[in-house]
Amino acid sequence: MDQEVKLAELKAKLKNVIKRSVYVYRVDCGGCNGCEIEIFAAISPVYDPERFGIKVVASPRHADVLLFTGPMTRAMRLPAIRAYKAAPDPKIVVAYGACGCSGGIFHDCYCVWGGADSLFPVDVYIPGCPPTPAATLYGLAMALDLLQQKIKGEQLVETEVTRVTPKYEGVCPDLAKDIEREARRLSGYLHGRRIAAQYLEFVREKDPLAVDRKIKELVKQEKDPRLAEIFLSLHKIYMERVGHNAG
Amino acid sequence: MLKLLKKTLQVGQATVEYPFKPVEVAPGFRGKPVYNFSRCIACGACATACPPNAITMDCDLERGIKSWNINYGRCIFCGRCEEVCPTGAIALSAEFELAAARKEDLYCRAEVQLCKCISCGEYFGPSRELEYVLAILKQARLLESGHEGWEQLLKVCPKCRRRKIAGSGAKALGARARF
Repeated sequence: MDQEVKLAELKAKLKNVIKRSVYVYRVDCGGCNGCEIEIFAAISPVYDPERFGIKVVASPRHADVLLFTGPMTRAMRLPAIRAYKAAPDPKIVVAYGACGCSGGIFHDCYCVWGGADSLFPVDVYIPGCPPTPAATLYGLAMALDLLQQKIKGEQLVETEVTRVTPKYEGVCPDLAKDIEREARRLSGYLHGRRIAAQYLEFVREKDPLAVDRKIKELVKQEKDPRLAEIFLSLHKIYMERVGHNAG
Repeated sequence: MLKLLKKTLQVGQATVEYPFKPVEVAPGFRGKPVYNFSRCIACGACATACPPNAITMDCDLERGIKSWNINYGRCIFCGRCEEVCPTGAIALSAEFELAAARKEDLYCRAEVQLCKCISCGEYFGPSRELEYVLAILKQARLLESGHEGWEQLLKVCPKCRRRKIAGSGAKALGARARF
């Protein structure tokens, strides 16, 4: 306990002394190398962390910050401990990536012990799979107390029963389902959802002829032929449903 | 030397000024999944779809609460939760500054109330989900006749419903045909 208090004091001192120049050593405990690629992208001239004095070094004996990437696997735990022991003592431990934070997608594999915090006291968690270079810079700056933490734990409780309204108010759910399904089939979930929402906005008017007119106008003005095609096929479904010929 | 200076002036600055200026992310960037509590019906589709089990749901039948949890430290930002959510309660944002000093800050937890079965008195499903089903039925114009019947049917737990249907012969057959 006494030693821990002492270490915390030393760490505070370290943050004071190193200010903006800090050497980072990364320890790969068994990751997929996505994180490594992203770290190398982060130390490229585009993000250039060396302007803050952040430098990746090749030996843990030079390091102020240890960056643990990948889930803590059984096979890599001893090398990880060796790297940790080799770093001089007031050191900052950063868990990098989803795997480093909690084991990530490998959390329930038989040889995975969890994140870096299953073995070491972690100072900063940088989630992401992998974290982008900007997220890496932010995390390192946070580890050095240059930037403030933005994310906060949340606890939401329902006190009285609230009502959730269906997504497309005033549209028959069957029709909405068919339209959304076709839109997703044609253009993927992300754009499909947006396109379906845009189409169903027209349907809300309930007058098939007005919908027909508006859609045809939209298709005529649309510059992207793919989008026009999708709108037409959605329109076909709607017209079949209301009993008109799509023409 | 002068040649080099000229060249650098021509090429300009390549380094982004990230911590001092916000960095622009690409369209379609998959960042922090943002949860909209007021749209969630606690159906659990996201928890089923989540590949690394970052989103989990569990029921506390004694307190009558179903809870939704996300661990941002485990999330791989695949966007499947957004894809499967029927109400659009969860969507990936452009937020990437997720680093945290404490593990608790990486969690988000939400609790919704469960509905009691009107026949056996046990908690069985989220009240929000039942309300949502009713609203969907109303939009499909299935509720105009026998509004009460539907409501009575929805507020019975699956176990009791099965027992009821099995127990009352011909009448039950009619009820099953309605499904």
